[in-house]
Amino acid sequence: MTTSTTRPRRGGVARALGLLALPIAGLAIIAVIWNIVIWIFDLKPFVLPTPQAAVRAIGVNWSTLAPLTMQTVLETVYGFLIGAALGFVLAVIMSAMKFLQRLIFPTLITSQAVPIVAIAAPLVILFGFGMLPKLIIVAWIVFFPVAVNVLDGLAHVDPDLVRLSRVTGARRVREFLMIRLPATLSPLFSGLKIGATYAVTGAVIGEWTGTPTPGLGTQLLKVNASFKTDVVYGVTFLLTAIGVLSFLIVMAVEAISTPWTRRTTAWRGFRGAIDGYDGAHGSGMSPARADGARTGPQTVGEPDRGQ
Amino acid sequence: MGRIAWLPRPLPTTIVFEIGYRVTDVPKLAASGVSCRFGDVLAVDDVSLTVGRGEFVSIVGPSGCGKSTLFNVISGLQRPTKGGIAIDGVDVTGETGHVGYMLQKDLLLPWRTVIGNIVLGASLTRGATQDDRAEAARLASRYGLGQFLNHYPHALSGGMRQRVAFMRTLALGQDVLLLDEPFGALDSQTRFDMQMWLLSVCRDLNATILFVTHDVDEAIFLADRVIVMSARPGRIARELPVGLPRPRTVDTLTTVMFIDIKREVQAALGHAEAGRAAR
Repeated sequence: MTTSTTRPRRGGVARALGLLALPIAGLAIIAVIWNIVIWIFDLKPFVLPTPQAAVRAIGVNWSTLAPLTMQTVLETVYGFLIGAALGFVLAVIMSAMKFLQRLIFPTLITSQAVPIVAIAAPLVILFGFGMLPKLIIVAWIVFFPVAVNVLDGLAHVDPDLVRLSRVTGARRVREFLMIRLPATLSPLFSGLKIGATYAVTGAVIGEWTGTPTPGLGTQLLKVNASFKTDVVYGVTFLLTAIGVLSFLIVMAVEAISTPWTRRTTAWRGFRGAIDGYDGAHGSGMSPARADGARTGPQTVGEPDRGQ
Repeated sequence: MGRIAWLPRPLPTTIVFEIGYRVTDVPKLAASGVSCRFGDVLAVDDVSLTVGRGEFVSIVGPSGCGKSTLFNVISGLQRPTKGGIAIDGVDVTGETGHVGYMLQKDLLLPWRTVIGNIVLGASLTRGATQDDRAEAARLASRYGLGQFLNHYPHALSGGMRQRVAFMRTLALGQDVLLLDEPFGALDSQTRFDMQMWLLSVCRDLNATILFVTHDVDEAIFLADRVIVMSARPGRIARELPVGLPRPRTVDTLTTVMFIDIKREVQAALGHAEAGRAAR
């Protein structure tokens, strides 16, 4: 019945390594080209250090960099969460009231056309040197892709589905919670993934305007001024890593919260979680179900005819 | 299957003896003089029909004959310009929540399992209870979905998805079901399986069904009565009783009686089409 059962299943670790092999190879190729460029043009380390030297600089300066990294991570995470929440709420409000959508949406688009670097300094004048202006800048960048994607998701709920729900005499609140809200999950995560990679940039720009609590952004300016080019690249690597890691975390959360996109059957603990059902009735595990749960998404054929 | 003796289904004129003291000839579902106008367009014009308890009525007609509008009126989604709808003799014009409704699109929620989708109606109105889920599991197991209770819809084939959609419609607990081309998107073999399956489910549940289809064979094969509608404005052009004995099998499709009824339905449809061409 299934094609995937004929192929021996690889172990989880081996499969994970297999999936990682190509991305790692991609990074290795860039590192090699980088070294070749330095070698061909005979570039001095203060002009362009090798990636190895940049990584080594992280290690050497780690005691300085660790608290700075922490600070930047905090700004990124808090700003990201605020921006995501704001974007989501705005999208829900705009989709519920078309009048508000016409009122707010053009302003939101305009907000993204404002050069963030230009607005950073005035924000410091307004809100001081503390955490707040940094959070505002990060949230400013993050909320937009979230709002646009969620709004799109809400707009694309099948009108027939809404019709069906109306026929049953559904309550509007329940209709929203059970039909519209879950439909926003996939677009929400698309927006969050974009936001997660941009958030770090926002934190760095925020730090550039001056801060009593330095982060990697402030460090970047400092080491750049003193021509410690290897540390500049090292810090850039760290910032990049924060962005990539954020993306991966969002991806992991997406995978956990949208099991139906990858699995054939619901997780045992997850069955009926949507309306508080403990799954007691699904106890008789049939062979087909056990098999389906292992082999991932696939189409199950018709059962025996004449059933 | 063979053990159950076939009994003729009650027609609207039949007197139905209910449990208890009441004797009634009130039809399960009655549409009286329903007209629906959208601006200049008259979509449905003076349609009156009655469906008896447990009766299966098919509606066929050319595209744009107002079948979907009629269904929207019966389900309460659309208020008619004129006329009204009664269920069990009670006026329910413009009120939702009295019938089960199923479309060609299965409209299953991808994030809900088979069970979760079947109890959707309860979830949307009052919250699904353990009992709802147990009942859904029982229904699903009985009608060939037992293996797939905790599957997500994407893992099911088109036919299985339509079965889930039908179970969801049943689980609403309404005994009047409006089925709007439910098997229209299925391939012919799956479609036939689904028709047989639907007949077996109907035999058990004694549901009252209005079934819209483009397929004349399907209309006759399933129904106690076929209603032919004319093109816009939608009117009832012809009503034909289907006296084919039950249970019906694949052989029913080739009996002389079936062919005779089919000829009449097609003639009526031809008139309906010709009427449109002449306008």
